[in-house]
Amino acid sequence: MFQNTKCECGHQNHVGTVLCEYCGKPLGEESLSEEPLEMRYDGVARRSQKANPSWIDRIWNFFSSVKIAVYLIVITLLGSTLGTIYPQESTFLSGDPTTYYEVNYGLPGKIYYALGLSRTYESWWFITLLVMIGTSLVICSLDRVLPLYRALNKQSIRKHLTFLKRQRVVFTRDIPGDPEEFVEKLGEQLKRKGYRVNRDGTALLAEKGRFSRWGPYINHIGLILFLLAVLARSIPGWYMDSYVTLPEGEAVEIKDTNYYIKNEKFTVQYYTDDELPDELKGTLRAKLYETKAVLYECTAYCGDLTREPELKEVHRHDIIVNDPLSYKGLHAYQFDFDETPKLKAVKPVLVDKQTGESYGPFELSMTNPEISYQVGPYTLELRDQFMEFAIGENGKPTTLSREPNAPAFFFLIKGPGLPKEGESYLYFPREIDKVRFSQDQINRDIADRFEIKVGSMENVVLSGATTFLNIRVDTAIPYVWVGAAISMIGLILGFYWQHRRIWLRIDDGKLTLGAHTNKNWFGMRGDVASALRKLDIVVEPKSLDNGGNKT
Amino acid sequence: MSFLEFSSDAFIAAFFLYCFGFLFYMIAIGGKKWSNRDPEQHVKRWGRVAYIVSTLGLVAHLAFFFTRWIGAGHIPTSNMYEFMTFLGMSIMIAFTVIYSIYRSPLLGMFALPLTIIIVAYASVFPQEVQPLIPALNSIWLKIHVTTAALGEAFFAVGFAAGLMYLLRVVDFKGKTKEARRAQRWVEFTLYVIIVVISFIITVFVFRGMGYEAEFKQMQVNIDSRGQETTTEENVQYTMPPIFKPYNSETISMDSFIGMKQPLLETPYWMDGVNAGRKLNTVVWSIIAGSLLYGLLRLVFRKPLGAVIHPAMEGIDPEDLDEISYRAIAIGFPIFTLGALIFAMIWANIAWSRFWGWDPKEVWALITWLYYSAYLHLRLSRGWQGHRSAWLAVIGFVIVMFTLIGVNLIIAGLHSYAGV
Repeated sequence: MFQNTKCECGHQNHVGTVLCEYCGKPLGEESLSEEPLEMRYDGVARRSQKANPSWIDRIWNFFSSVKIAVYLIVITLLGSTLGTIYPQESTFLSGDPTTYYEVNYGLPGKIYYALGLSRTYESWWFITLLVMIGTSLVICSLDRVLPLYRALNKQSIRKHLTFLKRQRVVFTRDIPGDPEEFVEKLGEQLKRKGYRVNRDGTALLAEKGRFSRWGPYINHIGLILFLLAVLARSIPGWYMDSYVTLPEGEAVEIKDTNYYIKNEKFTVQYYTDDELPDELKGTLRAKLYETKAVLYECTAYCGDLTREPELKEVHRHDIIVNDPLSYKGLHAYQFDFDETPKLKAVKPVLVDKQTGESYGPFELSMTNPEISYQVGPYTLELRDQFMEFAIGENGKPTTLSREPNAPAFFFLIKGPGLPKEGESYLYFPREIDKVRFSQDQINRDIADRFEIKVGSMENVVLSGATTFLNIRVDTAIPYVWVGAAISMIGLILGFYWQHRRIWLRIDDGKLTLGAHTNKNWFGMRGDVASALRKLDIVVEPKSLDNGGNKT
Repeated sequence: MSFLEFSSDAFIAAFFLYCFGFLFYMIAIGGKKWSNRDPEQHVKRWGRVAYIVSTLGLVAHLAFFFTRWIGAGHIPTSNMYEFMTFLGMSIMIAFTVIYSIYRSPLLGMFALPLTIIIVAYASVFPQEVQPLIPALNSIWLKIHVTTAALGEAFFAVGFAAGLMYLLRVVDFKGKTKEARRAQRWVEFTLYVIIVVISFIITVFVFRGMGYEAEFKQMQVNIDSRGQETTTEENVQYTMPPIFKPYNSETISMDSFIGMKQPLLETPYWMDGVNAGRKLNTVVWSIIAGSLLYGLLRLVFRKPLGAVIHPAMEGIDPEDLDEISYRAIAIGFPIFTLGALIFAMIWANIAWSRFWGWDPKEVWALITWLYYSAYLHLRLSRGWQGHRSAWLAVIGFVIVMFTLIGVNLIIAGLHSYAGV
C-alpha cells in the first residue's frame, strides 16, 4: 500500500505520523477536523505503526497499546481481589490446606480451594499477568520514548498556522508596531518565567520542563527493575526463608548455612497498670519481646554428628520486633515465643523399694541424655527416648513432637539380683505423665522393686522461654529498593513538573499564539495571560481556552 | 490541664469550626440569589469567611494532633480513631494545597463535609490513648502512616471534585436513557453518603440512650489435630438487635420501642469476628439511611441530585475536571511512596519480608493499580470529563474499602487498626 507521507513543507514523515515532524501541520485524518489537535507524543509515528506488520510486529503492536496495558492492569486488579476473599495458604502455619477451607468456610471454601485461589498470587495466571505487565512496560516505553525524543530534540520554531490555531490554548490579535520588537519583548517576559526561548525572526518557541516528559519512562524503568529483582529471588542462594526454635542457652544450627544461633535470654515485658488507660487496666498488653541472640560461625566439625562443632562468635544483637539481627546478608527476626517452662533436666535417684536404699542422684538431660548411667551398683542403659510420649496407632510408643512436652525414657536396668540381659523400665520424669500413662502398670513387676524419682523441686532444671526466629536471606532486596527509588523519581518528575510550550508567529501584523502542556492547563493559561499582561494585553486566562476537554 | 485534655478540647473545637465552615460555604453558594446583593461579591465574601473558618478548624485539628502526640508519647496514628482523625486532617491539608493552586472556594463545599463525616466516623471508635504494642514501635509508624494518609487525602479531594463535576454536568431534567442512568447513579452515590452519615448518627443516638444488649454465643472450633472444641463468648451490642449472633442466647437486653426479643439470627456463614454485631450495625445504618433519605425526598419533592444541581451553576465544569485530575495526579506519587514503598520498607524490618500478600497490602496494591489505570486512561480521548469523574468517585470507594472495609471484613496482619 502506498501512502504519501510528504508534508507540504517538504518534510518526509514516517507512516502513521499525525503532525508533520517539521512544521506541525496536521496530516491524514487529523487534518480534516477542526477540534484541538491530538498532541500525544507530539504526533510522531510510533514504531508500532508500521505498514505491513510481520508477526513479531504484531506482538510488538499488541503490547505497545496503552489500551492493552489498561486491560492488563484492570485484570490484575480484579484477580488480586480474589486472593483476599479467604486467607491464603501462606498465611497460616498450622492446618492442612486440603481440609482447612472446607472445614472453615463450607462449600464456598471447598470451591475456593479447588479453583486454586488459595494460592492466587503463586498461580500461573497471576504470574503470567505480571509478566505481561512487565512486557507491556518495556514495549510501551520503547515504542514511544525514542520517536518522542527525536521529535522533541529537533523542534522547528516556526510552526504551521493550523498547528497553532488548533492548540488547546490559543490567542490571536492584531499587533500594531514592529513585530520583531514585540516578539523579543514577549520572549523576555517568558524567560523570566523560566522558559527557554528560541526566536526565528517573528516566530518564537518558548519551552519549559521538557525533562518531565521522561518521568513516565523513568518510572517504568524503575518498575521493570523492581519486577526483575523480585524474579531474581529464584536464583539459587539468593533467597532463604526458614524458622528456628531456640530454647534458652543452646546454640542451634541454622540449616543450609555455616551459622549457629543462640538465645541467651528471652524476655517479654508487659505494660503495668499505671501505663494503661482505664479501659485496658488488668489486661496483658505486651510492651517488648526481646531475644538476646548470639550468632556463631562454625569453624570445624560442622554437621559432624559424633563431635561437638567448633563455634566462633561473630555477632551479638538484642533482637526485638522492628529491630532484627543482621550479619552479612543474613537476618534474624523475632517471630514468636513460648513462655511455658520446659523440662531441661532432672536429677533423680534410683530407689530400691525393698530395702528403702536410694542411689544417685544422676543428671538426666532431656535433650542430650547419656547412653548409660552408673548409679550405685546398678547400670541404667538408655534404649529409647520419647519427647512427647504417645501410643501410636499400631499400639507401639511414639513421639508427637521434638519438644519435651511429655518426655519418657526407656531404660534397661542391670545389676545385682537382676537378670543378665537386664530389666526394662519406662521412666516419665513428669509426675503428671507418670499417672496419665500408668507408668507402674507398664513396668509391671519391676515397678515393685525399683523406682526412679526426683526428690524435690531443687532437682528439676527448667529451661527459660523458647523463642522462635525467622531467618532470612534476600540478596535481591537492594535491587528492589533501587527499582522503587527510580520509579519514585520518575513519578515525581512526571507529576510535579509539566512540559509547557508556547509557539507564536506574527504574519502581516497578526499575532497567532498557541500553547501546549501535558498537564495543568490552568497553569499554562496563567503563564500566557500573565506574559501578555506585561505587554499591556489584558486577557482573562479562561478566555484562552480553545476547548478540547469535552467528552 | 494536661496535654491530653487540651487535645480532646481542640478536637471538639476543630469539629465545630469545620461545621461552621461548611455552613458558610453553603451560605456562599446558596445565598447567591438572595435579594439586594451582587452575586459575585456575595460568593467572594462568604467564600472567604468560610475558608478562614475552616482553616481555623485545621489549626485546631493540628493542635489536637500535636498535643495528643506529646501527651501520649507516640504519634497518634496507631488505632482506627487516631488514623481516621488523621485522615480527616490530611484531607483538609490536601484541600488547602489544591485551593492554593486553583482558588476555587466551592471546592470547600465538598471537601469540608467529607472531612466532617470522616472525623465524626472516627469518634465512633474508642478514643483513649493506648500504649504501643511492639509491632508498632518503629519510626516507620510516623513515616508510613502519615504519607499513605496524605496520598489518600488527595484522592479524597479528587473524589470531591469529581462528584461536584457530576452534580454540575448531569442533566437532571433529561429524559434520554443516558441521562436517566447518570441521574440514577448520582442519586445512588448520594444515598450511600446518607447511609454513612446515618450510621454515625445511629451510633451516637443509641450511645446517648445508653442502649445495651448482651448475648452468649457458642462457637464450635476444630483445631489442627481435628479436635472439636466449643467456646462460649459474650457479645455486647450497643444497638437493638435486629440480628442476634448466630447460635446464641440472650443474656440481657434493653427493650426498644416494644422490641423485647431479637428479631432474627445472623446466618451461619457469616462467621467472622463479631459478624453478628457488624451485620446488625449495617442493617441499622441502611434502615436509618433510607428513612433519612426518604425524609429528604419528602421535604424537597425531587431527587437530591436535582436539589444540589442548581447551586452548582456558574462553576466551570472543565475546571472541576482538571481539579479532580490534578488532585489525583498530586496524590499518586505520595500514595506510592507512603502506602507501597514505605510500607514495604517497614514490612521488611518488622515482618521480615517486604511483601507478603496480606489483605491490606493487596488492597493498597489494588488502589494503586486502579489509579494507575485511571492515569493511563486520562491519556486517551473520551476519558476526560464525565467518565473520569466517575472513575474518581469509584476510586475513593476503593480507598475507603482498603482503609476500613479490609479491617471490618477481612482483617489480617493490620488487625491492630481493627474495630
